[in-house]
Amino acid sequence: MKHVPGALSGDPESGVKIPTRRALAKQQTRTKVLAAARRLFSEAGYEGATIRDIAAEAGMSTGAVFANFTDKSDLFREIMFADMAELAESMREAANRGRGVEDALLRAFSTGYAFYKSQLPLARAAFCVSWLPEEGVELRFSTAAKALRELITEQVQFAVERGELSQEAEVKLRGDMLFDAYLANYPEAIFLGWSLEALQAKARDQIRVILAGARRG
Amino acid sequence: MSIRKSQKEATRQRVLDAARDLFETQGYEETTVREIARRAEVAVGSVFTTFASKGDILSQVMADRLDELYAELDRVIPHLRGGVADRLRSLFAIHFAFETRRTKLFLAHIAAAFDWTLSPSTRPYGRNPRLRQVIRDCLIEGVNRGEISAHLDLEALLDALMGIYAWTYRLAAWEGADADQMSAVFDRQIGLLAEGFLPRA
Repeated sequence: MKHVPGALSGDPESGVKIPTRRALAKQQTRTKVLAAARRLFSEAGYEGATIRDIAAEAGMSTGAVFANFTDKSDLFREIMFADMAELAESMREAANRGRGVEDALLRAFSTGYAFYKSQLPLARAAFCVSWLPEEGVELRFSTAAKALRELITEQVQFAVERGELSQEAEVKLRGDMLFDAYLANYPEAIFLGWSLEALQAKARDQIRVILAGARRG
Repeated sequence: MSIRKSQKEATRQRVLDAARDLFETQGYEETTVREIARRAEVAVGSVFTTFASKGDILSQVMADRLDELYAELDRVIPHLRGGVADRLRSLFAIHFAFETRRTKLFLAHIAAAFDWTLSPSTRPYGRNPRLRQVIRDCLIEGVNRGEISAHLDLEALLDALMGIYAWTYRLAAWEGADADQMSAVFDRQIGLLAEGFLPRA
């Protein structure tokens, strides 16, 4: 990424730990723009929200927005990365509280569905962008996106180590199947208005079907 | 059908034909609704009375294209050989091969399906009732032949297959995979599912 992430810790070259007033102001501007962008992406989707709208929502000029972000996809990525990193942590915590692999996976998936249930337009925009050939590249290959997929695979791996699933469980391939099935249920929530309970019930059945072959000796 | 209704239908078909030609020759991103209207010889306004957006037009073009695929499947299905896993593999391989004839268009269609501006009649990505029916029929036949345990939750298996199939196209979008590479991955995944649904000895 092109920005200075450590704006709050001041200029690293000056050796000063206290943030300069300028760095603080810059950070505040960024936070304001991100909050405005999040609101607009949630309401109007990715294509529907323009930089001009976002600037107006944040109460600043488009120039001020461009001083902090290269373009709209840059802004969108920043929001997605932050969300996915937070979500990955919550999903992992939820999974680690599970009793057995099926319960662990279901807890992780439910956490994901609950996270986006209150901001479905943003989830919809994220899916849209991630399939776009150009704009989607950085989102698809981000560490945050990979972490989500990996934490599911990790749960399958733990189950193999515990002896709950067979050694021939094909951890990576099966982890991908679980994660793909998890993602594929989002249209039910986005387009058909499914409840969290309905999503969980569907996910539970899918997890069983996908794990069934690895449970046999 | 009233004259007005049939005129509307004719306009709709002209727009779809023009859009398909333009999408295929110059690409989806590069085509504007204005160009589609010009080629279809209709006003831009009347395009928008029928379709909510360019993405909406693309979704309809892609849905119409499927008639060709299902005609092909109707011919092929009676000749499928092998166990239920192999029959499933063949059915999905035909889909991968079909959709990758126009990979760029298909990926644009997936992205557009998540776009904000779809009309209510547009089907979300991953909700193709004909594919679902073909796969369901194959599974039911598997149960009838004793290849799939009768205790299995068939709808859950169907959901898992459809979901995983839909997201296997990420390999095309993410990694530039072709139909054979996607089929190879999906074939192995069907194998893993099959270990779970084969009747217990």
